[in-house]
Amino acid sequence: MIYRAPPADALLAEPIDAFTAVYHRPSGQTHLLVEPAPEILDALGRDGLTLAKLRAALAERYDLTEADDLAERLEELVAAGLVSAA
Amino acid sequence: MSDADRPDDQPNGPATTTRRRALMIGAGAGAAVLSIRPALAQTAGSVLACEIPVPDPGRAGSFIAPDGSTVPAGTQGAFAPPGRAFKGEEVKRALAGSQLPGTSMESNRAYVNYIRRLQRGQGGFTCFASLQMPRA
Repeated sequence: MIYRAPPADALLAEPIDAFTAVYHRPSGQTHLLVEPAPEILDALGRDGLTLAKLRAALAERYDLTEADDLAERLEELVAAGLVSAA
Repeated sequence: MSDADRPDDQPNGPATTTRRRALMIGAGAGAAVLSIRPALAQTAGSVLACEIPVPDPGRAGSFIAPDGSTVPAGTQGAFAPPGRAFKGEEVKRALAGSQLPGTSMESNRAYVNYIRRLQRGQGGFTCFASLQMPRA
């Protein structure tokens, strides 16, 4: 399963205190994201990554805590329509 | 003009290791993604009574392929439109696993895939978006 973020021009992102507000142009929906959702979107990019490669990419940039929950965080983004899984 | 003392804040040796910041993957107090409901969803009655045409009027006459895309009428393997719009309540149940009224298992899957692909600007999109919002 490859997880992909939308094209860069499909999202408008704005930090608001502890949240990142993300407007998804294709659906017209707005979401409030907290860590690690914005970091996951950034790491996935348009080319996409498998779960294992995403974990590795995040581990390279950050010191991960509770990394076993990564699949659950990804599913939240898929359910919101912000990440495609194919 | 004498050289001013410059603060020596740039190391001349090898680059210092950048310390990575911690990233909490666990959910902590709740989900990491909070979707904002459109105003339409605030009244349960209006959500369930809203309609989703398949396909939207702009594509009237098109058939629905199994993956939910619209294709020319008569395309082999695709399904004729259901002939009526579905109510929000019916689509909500179909998204939860039951079948749209008057459909076979295959045509149900095609229509549901079509509905899942709806974009802003297409007829039925706001109704569908309202159905997806998680309850607070």
